Amino acid sequence: MAMKPEEVLRVIQAARGNAICIPTMTTGPAWRDIAPDDLSAGCVGFMGGASSLGLGLALARPERRVIVFDGDGSLLMQLGSLATIAGARPRNLLHLLFKNGVYHTSGSQEIPGGLTVDFVTMARGAGYKTALAIGELDDFKRRLPQLLTAEGPIFVELHTTLADQTPMTAGGGSPFHQQMERLRTKLLTANAFTERIKTGE
Amino acid sequence: MPESIPASLIIDTLKDTFREARAARAAEGWGPSPHEHLGWILSVPDTHQKTVLAALDKEQAIRVLTCATEDEACTIAAGLHAGGEPVVLMIQHAGLYASVNTLRGVAMDGKVPVFYMIGLLQREKDKDPKESRHSMVRYCEPLLDTFSVPHARLEGPNDVHLIPEYYRLSRQRRGPTAVLVGLETS
Repeated sequence: MAMKPEEVLRVIQAARGNAICIPTMTTGPAWRDIAPDDLSAGCVGFMGGASSLGLGLALARPERRVIVFDGDGSLLMQLGSLATIAGARPRNLLHLLFKNGVYHTSGSQEIPGGLTVDFVTMARGAGYKTALAIGELDDFKRRLPQLLTAEGPIFVELHTTLADQTPMTAGGGSPFHQQMERLRTKLLTANAFTERIKTGE
Repeated sequence: MPESIPASLIIDTLKDTFREARAARAAEGWGPSPHEHLGWILSVPDTHQKTVLAALDKEQAIRVLTCATEDEACTIAAGLHAGGEPVVLMIQHAGLYASVNTLRGVAMDGKVPVFYMIGLLQREKDKDPKESRHSMVRYCEPLLDTFSVPHARLEGPNDVHLIPEYYRLSRQRRGPTAVLVGLETS
């Protein structure tokens, strides 16, 4: 029984703490509703880039968890990022793959290989610290606390149904540059606040 | 005539560029970096700049991350920038062509200051790049012009001042800029 992406995202929102989240494609509209105005930047217009954006953030801010909400079609577009991430060894990166076997946004055409593509084996072979698959929401709920604290990079293939909305059907959302600027400003503000506490100012 | 630039000169210039970037970052309000190195080089190895990459292997003050593709390099740079870290991309012209959508979607539309050092592999010493018989040399500047990406040529040791200038320019205009490494570095 595959999981509803929206339910997975609600579980993440409840547990993520101050983690930065990088949704892409069909997780974008639902995440905007579930976690509005937060530490996120959605990737639309450069399909396949979510894992790399997450890697950059994870390297820059090692004190925070970074969670990537990738898609199977998206990851296939920049599959080499698995090796780049493994090589960079970000201890704070959780790479979640929402696997539904299709390019949902463009009309649900099957991805090459469909649901038979084994991304867990690919991530493990690339050198991720941990790689596993989860198909049940209760299992995901049970494992998530550890996934949010264990040493990364961690890859989880989530077996999901189609989302209710895609970026095409939902529309809306801020332009990417506004999301990036907002995210940077929030990280800067939080960093400055932490420094003030450290120095007792 | 263009001249080869020594790797050590480029690395010293990059260090100065990163020091300046760190100072600008502090002025913006960021606390100390969580990292000991001055800045990041994201590289998809470039034959033209191989002596620089070899020297960077022994360099503690700059961290080099080798990426599988230039798409990744550009997008990782966006993440590093959002997190307050200074970063430079070192790629070759073929990689620029391969990653045009990311240049557009991330660096341009995302208004992310991405500074590229692009090697002009096979550029002939006695020819202007626009007159090269190699299409990958010939089309680099026109492509950057098409996307309105400011660029300059590093034609010899006297041009290394363009590295901090174009790095700074990428921050000022909140978008991509590039310098083109004319001859293989020494």
